[in-house]
Amino acid sequence: MQRWTLHIAVALWLSVLFGLKLGVRPPMPASVLMIYMTLTTIGILVFVAANEERFQAFLAPLKAVFAGRAPKAAQIAVLAGIPLLAGWGAWLRTAPSLDAPFEPRVVHPEPPTSFSSHGKRIDAATLKNPLRAAQEKNPAELEKLTQQGKTIYYQNCFFCHGDALAGDGHFANAFSPIPANFRDVGTISMLQESFVYWRVATGGPGLPKGATPWLSAMPVWQNFLSEDEIWKAILYIYAGSGSTPRTWDEEGGHEKH
Amino acid sequence: MRNIERLLLTAWLMAASAFAADAPKVKTEAVKATPVAADLDAGKKLYQRWCAQCHGDEGKGDGPAADFVYPRPRNFTLAIFKVRTTPSGQLPTDHDLFNIISKGLPGTSMPAWEKFISETDRWQLAHYVKTFDSLGLFKDEPAKEQVAIDAPPKLTDELIAKGKTLYKEKKCWQCHGPLGRGDGPSAQGMKDEWGFPIRPVNFTKSWRFRGGDRIEDIYRTFTTGFNGTPMPSFVDSIPSADDRWALAAFVKSLARPQKNAQVLKAALVDGEIAADPYAKQWEDAEFADFPLAGQIIQEPRWFKPVHDVITARALYNDKEIAILLEWDDGTNNKGEGKPADQVALQLPTQPIAGEKPYFILGDDKHPVDSWRWNARDGLVRVAAAGSAKQAPRDAGSLVAQVSYRDGQYRVILRRPLQGAAGEIGFEAGKFVPIAFQLWDGDNGEEGMKMSLSTWYSVLPLPATPLSAYLWPFGIGLLALGGEVWLLRRMRRKS
Ligand code: HEC
Ligand code: HEC
Ligand code: HEC
Repeated sequence: MQRWTLHIAVALWLSVLFGLKLGVRPPMPASVLMIYMTLTTIGILVFVAANEERFQAFLAPLKAVFAGRAPKAAQIAVLAGIPLLAGWGAWLRTAPSLDAPFEPRVVHPEPPTSFSSHGKRIDAATLKNPLRAAQEKNPAELEKLTQQGKTIYYQNCFFCHGDALAGDGHFANAFSPIPANFRDVGTISMLQESFVYWRVATGGPGLPKGATPWLSAMPVWQNFLSEDEIWKAILYIYAGSGSTPRTWDEEGGHEKH
Repeated sequence: MRNIERLLLTAWLMAASAFAADAPKVKTEAVKATPVAADLDAGKKLYQRWCAQCHGDEGKGDGPAADFVYPRPRNFTLAIFKVRTTPSGQLPTDHDLFNIISKGLPGTSMPAWEKFISETDRWQLAHYVKTFDSLGLFKDEPAKEQVAIDAPPKLTDELIAKGKTLYKEKKCWQCHGPLGRGDGPSAQGMKDEWGFPIRPVNFTKSWRFRGGDRIEDIYRTFTTGFNGTPMPSFVDSIPSADDRWALAAFVKSLARPQKNAQVLKAALVDGEIAADPYAKQWEDAEFADFPLAGQIIQEPRWFKPVHDVITARALYNDKEIAILLEWDDGTNNKGEGKPADQVALQLPTQPIAGEKPYFILGDDKHPVDSWRWNARDGLVRVAAAGSAKQAPRDAGSLVAQVSYRDGQYRVILRRPLQGAAGEIGFEAGKFVPIAFQLWDGDNGEEGMKMSLSTWYSVLPLPATPLSAYLWPFGIGLLALGGEVWLLRRMRRKS
């Protein structure tokens, strides 16, 4: 195993490189890739150098190449490879960047303390889904409201958020940022319903500056749906994606899922 | 009028099935067994959960979402299915239904359910869809044989050339157009068996082929025909399987991959930029595709757009920048009876300092400059600060050059690099935000009823300075020098 230390290190380095280059969509800018690769290189070197025996095993194949003990093909590959790699690394820095300017975006910005919807001021801190009240007392009623929410979803939202709520509706790929995937644990299941209501009622234009409101295609739903309809749609996006809203535990004052 | 069409279509369908029954001109094989037995209760639950919103509780294609998608979800009660392996006029096999449910119908709202629904459940759905058949056909005349599809031949230039001849001879072009852009003389005003408008497929956009775009899929599509549509089976008129493979190879050769990009790169040219959008200079320019969606964000919302992509190229010289917009449209609507076709690109009016304009025509604080070309009015320039605040503005030095040919529009919009008042300037190496909008008059699109994109960028490509090459070369050389030194030292030692 020790014998292969260098090979494993190189393989690891290459797999990180290709993983980042091919696996990340949309592609990351060259400068960001450079930062990750520098960190990877340092990480690997630190790990290798931490143990003397490992470090020697790591150097051994290189020494063999330079001392002329390694097979001819390996000598040529290494001796030609190092300058080429160094040149390529320099090219990444000097080549003019043709990547689109990187626009960092806060996906879940701090919600405002109050916002206006349907011509009223709404206090975000005390906002609750009024339809949830049926949950304990009358599950059949809740189911009925959820089914109505389903109809609202498929007449208004699924074009973007998808048939199965996975953010991949038939219009989704024309929009950047892409519509939220409600099945993903990083979206509605980590949000309170009051936050979701704010997002749905005020849409992309309601976002604060750091969330690039000029780009989000999320419509302003208070222009199309009544308060009741928005709450029903919210019931459905949770039920349909198999998630539950994040809640505040009233007595303890701490969050629970 | 509609009744006559229906009658003709029905007569044709009957004739087609009679033919198929009489003389099977095509090699067939027995239908494969269905691996999962039906459990209709399970099927019903799954159907209610995932399908009823489009296909309706009773399978009539009238679910609550049905009015909001084009093409309309299928009405299953007549048991007419498009994508099959069975001869024309026959029912699909269980495997066909299973495959359609799994893979979906590209270019429509019907998604590939294999991403979300387990294999067993998809079999249950295939069984359940058959229960809507109001004529009892699945019971009385289930599919017994399916078209055998051999391994496809190798794609050679001769095969494609032969296919091209057949494409002319067999009149595919009458519907699909001479270059396959869905713009043939008979393309307009067609209806399907259910009475809904239908357009021939544009062969260059193979990502929208309902039945898939592998050569085997294309071969199967016109061997079995799409039941219920004007797209017949061609087994009778093209009896030789070799000929059909040649045709499939030709259709496949018309397809081009979608090349989506974030940045529209404008290359630097010496001298003038050609005014003819078909000039070699333009053909050689790199193109980029920008996907479009229906404008469903502001009133009036538009759920059923025709255009799903716009292709753009850009060039610049020391004086001006030119952007070529290209899209396929089988109908050249100049605004008689129906709205005129139109295209627009949108730019901010000044360099971006932190905030961009809202992607739909800007906003109060951030206006946009909209360059439009309309098939009736020609070049139109609009200053907009939101969709409700649009005002015509003087075209200034903006110029449009247009061609409509073989079902394709090409519109060049050009302007000096330097921005005048209320115009953004272009400069090598500087990104400028750009967004696109497109209208198909034949589909009744005008005003906010359009296809649109969010913001992308256009970039006049900077010339690469010599130092950008010298540095890597020098560093490579340095590394080589280090190696030589090490090499000598180590070899001397050993
Ligand atoms: C035109 C496309 C479009 C439609 C239609 C649409 N959305 Fe969105 N939605 C988006 C996009 C894009 C985002 C992601 C960007 C953002 O956060 O604004 C988003 C984000 C969201 C979020 C925020 C999720 C999160 O994790 O922060 C919620 C909630 C949401 N949408 C609910 C809905 C509901 C409910 C409907 C229907 C009433 C709907 N959307 C219709 C495009 C759309
Ligand atoms: C978003 C709407 C939508 C949903 C949801 C949907 N479909 Fe479809 N489906 C369509 C449309 C649209 C067509 C017809 C496309 C055409 O005619 O080209 C179709 C066609 C079909 C066809 C006929 C294919 C053929 O070859 O003729 C079958 C079978 C089908 N769907 C099954 C299902 C099943 C099963 C489900 C649930 C898992 C489902 N669909 C969910 C929109 C939908
Ligand atoms: C009478 C008009 C007409 C003629 C002639 C015609 N087609 Fe079509 N074709 C259509 C229509 C309409 C569709 C679209 C069907 C749909 O949307 O369901 C279509 C669709 C297709 C498709 C795409 C199916 C898919 O998967 O989406 C192929 C491939 C095709 N035709 C091949 C041919 C070939 C090859 C010929 C000549 C041998 C031909 N067609 C002749 C009308 C025609």
